[in-house]
Amino acid sequence: MGTIVELNAQKENAKKDVKKETTDLTLFVRTSKEDLSGWDRQKIVDALLKETDLDINTSEKISLEVQETIENANIKYLTAPLVRELVDAKLIEHGLEDARKMHTRLGVPLYDVDQLILHPNKENANVPHGPEATNLTLAENIKKEYALLKVFSPEVGDAHMNGDIHLHDMGFIDRPYCSGQSLEYLKKFGLHLPNSLSNAKPAKHPEVLLAHMVKFAAALQSHFAGAIGWDAVNLFFAPYLVDKTDKEVKQIAQMMIYEFSQQAVARGGQAIFTDINLYWEVPKHFVDVPAIGPGGEFTGKTYGEYEKDAQRFVWALFDVYKEGDGTGRPFFFPKPLVHITEKFFKTEGHEKFLNHICDIASEKGTTYFVFDRGETAKISECCRLSFKLNESDLQDAKEPWRMRFCALMNATINLPRLGYRSRKDETTLFNNLREMIELAVKAHLQKKVFIEQLLALGDRGPLALLTMKKDGTSYIRMHRASYLIGMVGLNELVKIQTGDELHESNKALKFGLKVIAHMRLLTEEFSAKHGMHFVLEQTPAESTAYRFAKLDLRDYTDDAVKYVRGSIQEGQTYYTNSTALTVSSDDNPIERVKKEGLFHPLIEAGSITHIWLGESKPSKESLANFVTKVFRETESDQIAFSPEFTNCVSCGKTARGLSDNCSYCGSEDIEGITRITGYFTKISSWNKGKLGELKARNRNKGFFASK
Amino acid sequence: MGVIKLFVQQKCHKCPQAKEVGNILKDEGFKVEEYDIKTADGMAEAAFYSIQSTPVIILEDSDENIIAEFRDEIPTPQKVKDLLSGAQD
Repeated sequence: MGTIVELNAQKENAKKDVKKETTDLTLFVRTSKEDLSGWDRQKIVDALLKETDLDINTSEKISLEVQETIENANIKYLTAPLVRELVDAKLIEHGLEDARKMHTRLGVPLYDVDQLILHPNKENANVPHGPEATNLTLAENIKKEYALLKVFSPEVGDAHMNGDIHLHDMGFIDRPYCSGQSLEYLKKFGLHLPNSLSNAKPAKHPEVLLAHMVKFAAALQSHFAGAIGWDAVNLFFAPYLVDKTDKEVKQIAQMMIYEFSQQAVARGGQAIFTDINLYWEVPKHFVDVPAIGPGGEFTGKTYGEYEKDAQRFVWALFDVYKEGDGTGRPFFFPKPLVHITEKFFKTEGHEKFLNHICDIASEKGTTYFVFDRGETAKISECCRLSFKLNESDLQDAKEPWRMRFCALMNATINLPRLGYRSRKDETTLFNNLREMIELAVKAHLQKKVFIEQLLALGDRGPLALLTMKKDGTSYIRMHRASYLIGMVGLNELVKIQTGDELHESNKALKFGLKVIAHMRLLTEEFSAKHGMHFVLEQTPAESTAYRFAKLDLRDYTDDAVKYVRGSIQEGQTYYTNSTALTVSSDDNPIERVKKEGLFHPLIEAGSITHIWLGESKPSKESLANFVTKVFRETESDQIAFSPEFTNCVSCGKTARGLSDNCSYCGSEDIEGITRITGYFTKISSWNKGKLGELKARNRNKGFFASK
Repeated sequence: MGVIKLFVQQKCHKCPQAKEVGNILKDEGFKVEEYDIKTADGMAEAAFYSIQSTPVIILEDSDENIIAEFRDEIPTPQKVKDLLSGAQD
């Protein structure tokens, strides 16, 4: 027996009743190899009239021809997809290309579904393998096709497909990219979710506030493609912790970390990519802000008066991070982003705290160090994204629940390909770069129009959560949205143009800076032109660095074989991420941070330098000195230290370094763990490009004084 | 012979004074490179020296080693000449 989708919605109904339920429009009829019972040619006519601009006569003619084909072909199993393909073939025969496009069926071949169900998704290491993950991947595939047909113009879609640019999270086309927010929203307004069966008033207890935070994060994960960031978490929790003992504070810290690290049960089985921004000091812009406490009431104090409780909480969070999970592994989420500022170094106890978080950085690699120099203040999240606070944001800080930020999409430019095309001619290169940025801008404009259509549907639309107006304005503040433009493979482009890699000469480094300066100026030009905030971001490029290399090996073979990194034989090829030096560069860590840091001020929406530690375990003092030096002597935006671990599936223990066997019980049933790009994950889930990069990483052996 | 790198931008009230120093030295035969940090070339060169405000004057010897940097003050032409000649000694 076969199953065919019946196209029997009544033409008139469909035309008039646009609010009809989806289930009414997709009806099913069964058929068998013996007969074509249920076959109704009129359904083809109806579908063509409903879905395309064809007139009745043409629709009738096409349906008759398709029927004739079916009758003549002796088809044993007739399915709806097949009928649709036959109709589309006829439309092509008649030169009705526009109608064919409108009548296209989106879907996935049987073989692909088979593969998806049986094998893990390697595009995103934060997607585990399971039925929910399969659902996610299938939905993503269909929405990607939808985006290419309905949201983006053919020019933009083609540029993505052929690898000139990469439009990230196209499978999440009906959502913005990522968001940063404040706990104050939940503290002030409680938890109100669209379609929720109950609404909660503001939390009176820290455990309830945490529950609201976790549930809201899960709801946001369903409305954004990527990371969910939270500002100044330890400070905003502090008014709830005043009368709690240190033991109770640690219990809440433990609950927070486990709740977020074990959320891999919701969307697609994915953990919520959560970032918590943390401060030792009270950030200047919050010192005089009235604090909100239990029940959503103002406590009568300012946040400046909660420094001690905020410090107790952030200390306890790192106590938990140090212990790791039940098997001693590092927690992958929530990622703790500690802001290092001038005020940090003036705040009592900072030396001890810096040693504490460096201890965890050495033991587990968990700590991210975010540097806010001068008057800079920002909310960080994702693998390196940050939202720098401008004057109006600092005004909003007086009512911190207003501080909600989002990026709508990230479009990444394939820089090495520009090099292949420009044949070392600088003028051609920069003209081509401009064209690519124009394309990325077009892509952003097109996605913005689409998202605004969805938002315009308000509380009855798919993004109802983002249109709630508890403080008088929509939760999503489109006027503060960022539109990210990223880059992959600057190192390889520079090598093509100058003959050197970024770390090999000042000439190469300066040329790299010139490319990024061009990109920066172009984003400023297009921001002014469109009244939108286009900003550069270092693309994390977990899969894009691999995809671009693969496509260039296919389409620019002669050039690409000279410049892609990794092993072509093993298929483990990649380009160097964003503006980073090659991972194998022998620059010592401080030199790497200095050189990579030169790019960071040009990249407004976030940059990071990774320092790979391998199996070495530096002393906390040596890392603390290093972090201080980075703050004082470089322009680096953010750093993280990445040790490697082997977790044994048999005995459950975790050892330092990557090895083939468990060092405790000898089992070969082990999982390697380290940072893939901006987060920790199991190496078994990595794509081939990242596996190639892992082999090449300079682990800086012997640089730091050991424990 | 070394080079004098002068970093300026249009909306900068101290920049004309720094440019004047550059012009005097240029007239005397010194190699002066002027960078507007709002252009791509200037922005890239400024990023290389971690320059975010203007005016800044950097003196380098012929091997691109930095002899002196003036980030908060504008040197006299004579001071620049002394530093450059000192580096040659």
